[in-house]
Amino acid sequence: MTTQASPSTTSPTVPAQAGAARPTLDPQIRLDLYRTMVLSRTYEEAILREYHADKGPGFDIGKGLVPGEMHLSAGQEPVAAGICAHLTTDDAVTATHRPHHLAIAHGVDLRAMTAEIFGREGGLGHGRGGHMHLFDPRTHFSCSGIIAEGYPPALGQAFAFRRRGTDQIAVAVTGEGAANQGAFHESLNLAARWTLPVVFVVEDNDWGISVPRQASTAVSSNAARAAAYGIPGERVEDNDVEAVYDVARRMVARARAGEGPSLLEVHTLRMWGHFEGDAQGYRPELAEVSERDPIPRYERQLREAGLLDDATVAQIKEEASARVGDAIGYAKASATPDPSTATDYVFD
Amino acid sequence: MTEVLFPPLSKDSPEAEGVLATWFVADGARITADQLLAEVQVDKVSAEVPAPVGGVVHLLVKEEEAVRQGTPIARID
Amino acid sequence: MTVTEAPQGTHRLTTSKAMVEAIDQEMAGDPSVFYLGEDVGQYGGIFSSTTGLLDKYGPERIIDTPISETAFIGLGIGAAVEGMRPIVELMFCDFMGVCLDQIYNHMAKIHFESGGNVTVPMVLTMAAGGGYSDAAQHSQCLWGTFAHLPGMKVVVPSSPADAKGLMTSAIRDDNPVVYIFHKGVMGLPWMAKNPRTLDEVPEGEHLVPLGKARIARPGSDVTVVTLSLSVHHALDVADKLAGEGVDVEVVDLRSLVPLDRETVLESVAKTGRLVVVDEDYLSYGVSGEIVASVAEVDPGMLRVPARRVAVPDVPIPYAHDLEYAVLPRQDRIEKTIRAAL
Repeated sequence: MTTQASPSTTSPTVPAQAGAARPTLDPQIRLDLYRTMVLSRTYEEAILREYHADKGPGFDIGKGLVPGEMHLSAGQEPVAAGICAHLTTDDAVTATHRPHHLAIAHGVDLRAMTAEIFGREGGLGHGRGGHMHLFDPRTHFSCSGIIAEGYPPALGQAFAFRRRGTDQIAVAVTGEGAANQGAFHESLNLAARWTLPVVFVVEDNDWGISVPRQASTAVSSNAARAAAYGIPGERVEDNDVEAVYDVARRMVARARAGEGPSLLEVHTLRMWGHFEGDAQGYRPELAEVSERDPIPRYERQLREAGLLDDATVAQIKEEASARVGDAIGYAKASATPDPSTATDYVFD
Repeated sequence: MTEVLFPPLSKDSPEAEGVLATWFVADGARITADQLLAEVQVDKVSAEVPAPVGGVVHLLVKEEEAVRQGTPIARID
Repeated sequence: MTVTEAPQGTHRLTTSKAMVEAIDQEMAGDPSVFYLGEDVGQYGGIFSSTTGLLDKYGPERIIDTPISETAFIGLGIGAAVEGMRPIVELMFCDFMGVCLDQIYNHMAKIHFESGGNVTVPMVLTMAAGGGYSDAAQHSQCLWGTFAHLPGMKVVVPSSPADAKGLMTSAIRDDNPVVYIFHKGVMGLPWMAKNPRTLDEVPEGEHLVPLGKARIARPGSDVTVVTLSLSVHHALDVADKLAGEGVDVEVVDLRSLVPLDRETVLESVAKTGRLVVVDEDYLSYGVSGEIVASVAEVDPGMLRVPARRVAVPDVPIPYAHDLEYAVLPRQDRIEKTIRAAL
C-alpha cells in the first residue's frame, strides 16, 4: 500500500503524542464517566425487559407496549460517555438507529425520551417518531434510521453555529458499516473543504447487522480514511472509555478553535443483537462477549484506584435504577396518541 | 440623444455577431437611467443592457435579430 | 393566506429574473437567507437562478458546493433546523436519485417525527422540463414524485409574477418547500423563445400564497387544469379556439402541495368538461390525482369522460421529433380539447 502526502495535510493524528502514556484523569471525571455508563446500561437493560415483556407467545415484533424494531447500545457506552463529557447541551449530536447511549450521555430528558420510545403523547415527538427518530431541540440532539444520513445534517448545524460566531460544535455518529455509504464520504469532504466544526465518530462494533467489517470494508481502519479528506483521524482500541475521552478532548477542542473536522473511530462492542430478536447465529464469538463488557472492566480499574467500593457502586447503580424507573413510570402513565390526530404535524 | 450599443461580449473577436435575445421595454416607452433595457447574447454568453440615461427609448433592432457587437440597438431621446 | 399589497409599480422581467428578484429582496431583508448549490456563484446558476447575486451578497451567502448533493442538501437541513433559511438548489430534478434520502426521509419528515418541535424552513429549488433535446436523464418534470411524498410543499410557477411571488412565500414559509422551475418558462436567451416568459412583475414585495391555484384564463366550455410550461401552451390553444367560439378555462395549479382542489372542482362544476395537461409522466401522478379529486367528489359533474395529456410512460427520447411526439404540446392539447367538446 502506497501512501501519498495530501496537499493540504494536517498531521494524521491530532497533536499530542498518540500512544504516549496519558496523564491520570481527575477522579471526579472518572467517576462521572462510570456513572454515565452505568446509567446508560441500566436504561438499556430496562428497555430490554420492557420490550420483550409482552411480545409472546413466540416473538411478534408489532406487539406490546414498545412495538417495532429496537436497537440497544449495551457495550457501546464508552463512546457516548467519553465524547459527551466534552460537550454541553448547546452542542449538536446526531446519532443512528442505535441512539440511546448518546441521548443519555448528551443530556436528553430521560422522561420525554422514554415516552417517545413507548409512543406516547408525552414523548419528544408526541409518539410520532419512536426510538429511531428522537429529536430534542433543547439539546440539539437528533437521530435517524437511515445509515450514514445523520452526517449531512450535522454539517448544517455546524455551519449555522460557525456562521453565528459561537464555539458550538456538532458531533456526528455512525457505524463502521456506514463508512462505506456515499453520505459518509461526501460529508467528510464537504466538512473538510468548508472547515466545519464537526467531530465525526465511527462506532466500529465489528458488525453491520450480520456482516463483519472485514467482509465489507476495503481498509482495516476507517480512521485511515480521514487522510483521504485531509483531516486527522484516530482509532481507539479496546473500547477504552478514557482513551475515547482523551482523543475526543483534542478533537472537540480543534473543532471549537475553528480548525475544522476530525474523525474518531472507536473499536467498541455490540453486546446484544443488531436488533432485538436477532439470534446472532452469524456471530462465532458470542459466548465470549460478556467477558469484554467495558463497564465491569472500568469498575475494576476504579476500584483499584480506590475510587469505588461496594457501597459507592451500589449507590451509583441504585441512583441509576431510580432515574430509569421514574422515566419508565412517566412513559407508561403518558397518554397514547388519539388516532384522529394521526395526520397532525405534517406542516407547521 | 444617446445611442445604446450592443456590448462587446466577445473580446477576442470584436466583429462577432450576437443576438438581441429579449427587449424588456416597449418601443417609445419612457425609461429611467439604469433600467433594464435588454438581454443580449453572443455564443452562450449573455449580458444585461441597462439604460445609460433616462428618456424615451426607440428600439432599433428586433428580438432574435442577428446584430454585430458595437452596433446601435436603441436610441434614447 | 390573505395578501394585501399596496398598489405598486410593475416592470417587465423574464421568469428567471423575477425569481432572482424575489431571492434578492428576501436576502436583503433577512441575513439568515442564503443560497447554495452547484455553479450558483459566479456562473449564476446554469438556468440563471442566481444571476448577479454573488456580486451583491458575496461568497458567504451565495455558495458554490462540490458535487455532493447528499451532503449539501443535508447541510441545508441542519442549518434550517438551527434557524437559518437556506435555499438549496438541486441542479436538475432528474438528479433527485443521488440525494433523495435527505429530501424525503429527512427534510420532509423531521417536523413530523419531532411532533412539530423541529422546523425545517428550507427551500429546495430545482430545474425541470424538456423540449430542447436534453434526453432521458435531463428532461424530466418529476413534480408528481415530490408531491406524492408527504411532508414537503411543492410549488411550480408558470409566470414571472408567480415565480417571484411563490419564491417569496416559499422562503418565508417555515416548512420545507420544493420550488420547481421549468427551464422553458425561465425566458433564457439560449432556449427557444416563448413570449409568455416575459411579463409584468410587481417591483416591491410580492407574495403569492402557497396552495392556491389561479384562473389563467376564465372560460365556460371546458376546464384545462395544468401547470408550468403547459400553462403557456394551453393559453396558446385557448387563444386559437376562441376564434372558433370555444371558450376554454385554463386553471394554473401553481402549487401541488397543498393542492387547490376547490378551484378545480368549481371550474369543472361550471364547464362539465375536464382536460388535464401535465408534462410529468402519465401514470401514477398529477393528472390522475386531479381526475380522482373530481371523481371522488361527484363524477356526475363530468358530461364527458375526463381526459389527460401527459408524457406517456416512456423515458424522454433524444431525437427531436420523438421528443416532441411525447411532450404535451399545443397540438396534442388542441386535439384533446376538441375531443372533449
